[in-house]
Amino acid sequence: MKALALVLFLVGCAGDLVEPWQLDHDRIIAIRATPPRMPAETTAQLEVLTAREGAATTTRAPDAVAVLSPPSLASTVSGATVTAPSEAQLLAARADLGLAAGAPVPLVLGVTADGFAATKTVWLGEAAANPSLADVQIAGASPTEELVVPVATDIRLSVPAVDGEDNVTWLTSCGTMHDFDLSRAYLRIEPEDPQEGELVLVVRDRRGGVSWRVWKIRGQP
Amino acid sequence: MFEALRGRTTVSSNSVFFAFAALVGSAAAAYAQPGAVTAAGRVIDPSGAPIVGAQVSFEGAPASTTTDRNGWFSLSAPIGTTLVIEHEGDELGLAVVAGSALDDIVLRPLDAGGETIELVGEKPLEAPGAAALDRRELQRVPGTGGDVVQTLRVMPGVTNVEVPIGLSGVPIRGSSPQDSRILVDGFEIPILFHGLAFRSVLPAESIQGIDYLPGGFDVAYGRATSGVVAITTRPGDEKRSVQGELSLLDGGVLAQGAAGKRTRYLAAIRRSTIDLVFPSIMPSDLDIALVTVPNYYDGQLRVDHRLDDHWRLWLSGLGATDTAELYATKDTDQKTKRFYAHTAFARLSAGAAYHAGPWTANLALSGVITRYDFAQGAEQSLKATLPNVTPRIEVIRTLGDVAGLTNVEVRGGVEAQVGRYTADIGTSSEDREGEPPKAYDPHDMSTTYRGEFWVSDFAQWIATAANLDPKIRATLGLRTDELARTGEVLVQPRGQLEMKLAPRWIARLSSGAYRRPPEFQTELLQENLDAERASQHIASLQWDPREGSRVQASAYYTDRTHLITREMDGSLGNAGRGYTVGGELLATHRAGPWFGWLSYTYAHSRRVDHPGDESRLFSYDQPHNLNAAASWKRGRWQLGGRFQLHSGLPYTPATGAVLDNDRNLYIPTYGEPNSARAPLHHQLDLRLDYSWTWGPTALTAFLDVQNVYMNTSPITYAYSYDYSQSTTVTSLPIVPTVGIRGIL
Repeated sequence: MKALALVLFLVGCAGDLVEPWQLDHDRIIAIRATPPRMPAETTAQLEVLTAREGAATTTRAPDAVAVLSPPSLASTVSGATVTAPSEAQLLAARADLGLAAGAPVPLVLGVTADGFAATKTVWLGEAAANPSLADVQIAGASPTEELVVPVATDIRLSVPAVDGEDNVTWLTSCGTMHDFDLSRAYLRIEPEDPQEGELVLVVRDRRGGVSWRVWKIRGQP
Repeated sequence: MFEALRGRTTVSSNSVFFAFAALVGSAAAAYAQPGAVTAAGRVIDPSGAPIVGAQVSFEGAPASTTTDRNGWFSLSAPIGTTLVIEHEGDELGLAVVAGSALDDIVLRPLDAGGETIELVGEKPLEAPGAAALDRRELQRVPGTGGDVVQTLRVMPGVTNVEVPIGLSGVPIRGSSPQDSRILVDGFEIPILFHGLAFRSVLPAESIQGIDYLPGGFDVAYGRATSGVVAITTRPGDEKRSVQGELSLLDGGVLAQGAAGKRTRYLAAIRRSTIDLVFPSIMPSDLDIALVTVPNYYDGQLRVDHRLDDHWRLWLSGLGATDTAELYATKDTDQKTKRFYAHTAFARLSAGAAYHAGPWTANLALSGVITRYDFAQGAEQSLKATLPNVTPRIEVIRTLGDVAGLTNVEVRGGVEAQVGRYTADIGTSSEDREGEPPKAYDPHDMSTTYRGEFWVSDFAQWIATAANLDPKIRATLGLRTDELARTGEVLVQPRGQLEMKLAPRWIARLSSGAYRRPPEFQTELLQENLDAERASQHIASLQWDPREGSRVQASAYYTDRTHLITREMDGSLGNAGRGYTVGGELLATHRAGPWFGWLSYTYAHSRRVDHPGDESRLFSYDQPHNLNAAASWKRGRWQLGGRFQLHSGLPYTPATGAVLDNDRNLYIPTYGEPNSARAPLHHQLDLRLDYSWTWGPTALTAFLDVQNVYMNTSPITYAYSYDYSQSTTVTSLPIVPTVGIRGIL
């Protein structure tokens, strides 16, 4: 995206596009299944993190969920709950998909919320948990639920994730986020920016796990 | 009788000279002749055709010089000297040296009493709609920033791409750049433009001329289904000199001269300068670290040696390199945010040309090595090294009158192109013609290859040309290419008919088969691909209404089959077909200090990617393209303007996107391919040149301003990360280029 920004600058592009870190914009930010991988005949709950322009983020159940693949497992979803089928059904699904014996079965879901659409894969046949966000550091300290940060200062943000392996996204509705997709980012709120809003961290790991945290944030002159 | 420069030359101590002097180096002063300038001019006949071999001299000169194939000459002469121009069959011409640039000198035939003017000395056009472009004439076209190769954009049939980012060739007659060939001294070069494509890899001063063949080209040319751009580099002048040029984009030096009576040389080197100023104009709040600011180098070498009256030897070298490295963050340890691009190539060609009586032969051997090295993020990379060697032999025999035919000529040639390519690729799949861009996924490794392979292609051709009638000349030829890697044999018959309808009217008809081997992007990695095919049918009419004026119009239809497209499984196949139909007009006018140019193209290009698919536009379909240019030269001043008006290019609009939560990517959904079009664009470019002398040095300063009234038309549209918003990518509002060129 930054390379594109450079090219657009070079060719004289006009107009501004919303940045990927901007929370003040209608969309689905992330979908979480708890747990993301589950053994046969266990269940997982789906939640969606949505953003709305001019409003706070919400964590909620999706409006609708449908199985996109494999069709033979269409009955595994009911509302926001995914129920892993029996080992026998998983065995048949593996055969349909050409998977090795014992391999986890990807259940691809279509999810809608607030009029937006997304896909999410839940893995059936083995267990895994969503990543932990316990060791997040904001301005060198463990964050409280409500953050007060100095204006016109680079606020350092970090999460113990591996760049290139884990997918990290820092989002905010006030100030400018720099390196929003790295484990070490920084936020800067200028006096002319909105002084109150939210700060969100979403981490996706390579095993389908998704976690997020939401803080209220306020700039202090 | 003649047109000559009138005016006085004064010595100027303009401070800008010092920048130039530093560029060319003080050692060059050894070549200086105090009080003299290197005067350059062109000798033409009343129709504007160049006169080849005219002798140019002045009293007291140690030697004279002769005009080249385009009628140009240059020689060192004191200011105020009267030059004498002599050419057999023409009246004597005179011109006064008042500066480094002389106006065209027109020689009239001694017996030119009637209205019929025979065109002499001009290289015959090799195909209907073709044009032979001379460097110094092209330099008069504004809006090129002094880069004559950019002038191809004013040619009829060439798609005018306003911001040609990523364009390495020339899109001709609606098809993609890879469907046409760019030749330098007869051999293909892989990259024509540097970096952001504002500059070609050849500086203007090292180019002799450009043959533009938009279609219907001879069997000696192959491996292309659209057109050919054949650039000829310039032999060095007889007089030793050093030239330097410095502009906001780049600066370079060129040295040329003679070594003995039989040998001439020319060497040039150039480096970008924009990378020196770029960091200072880049906004500091962008999260970008420019580790290697985009920069380029190129160099040229040409040596010509006349062995005897029959043999001429030549050596031609060309190389270029482009490098850029940046991080999309200020943290340069963050490899996931790295972008690196390095391209380089070097070509060295050597040849021998023989001519005696009815025999002409051209023998040549050329080698090229091309290197691509790209990296994006921590995982995706592409490294490829592509060396190949091309020997070529062509023999021409004129037979005179045979079996009732006159001026019979037979040509034949053979060529091999043998290379061993090495590639190490791990990256996302490429975007094919008409495919909208995919969402960027740094983990996408859907294209992987690691290995080496041989690419051995062989070609042979034979052609016969003869006059069926004093006013009708026919050419029939056959070319075959064998692609050893895929085992395909390409048979390409071609023919042309030229008819002199009246003294000022010539009609040409051409029809033939053309093939492009599968060698673009990753096509070479698949051994089951066939060559793309085209059948071209062209009719043209040339009219020379009066002295110095020419109008040529062409109509063409190109049928394309076996177009390489992506299959459902992601592999490539030959399921596509399409066509281009169009008409082109080119009018040129030369009169005294005036030079005018008008070109207009109407074209329509459609294709079907798979049987049963809806037909769609080619990505370079541009229905209307108008260019009007005029230049006026008097004394030390030259002023020119160019107006361009052309259709926007097609694009595929995004209609929405779905979040892929697993990859945190928005996967766009698109409308029908190329179903929308950017709006019409028009702009005015201006160019002003001023020449003067400073001691022994002839200097020319120029100001070239593109888009002077700052019309920023949308070129295409860029989307936000989730495709919910779009913004226009516009043409550049204004592009001024200033520079200075000096000859010592």
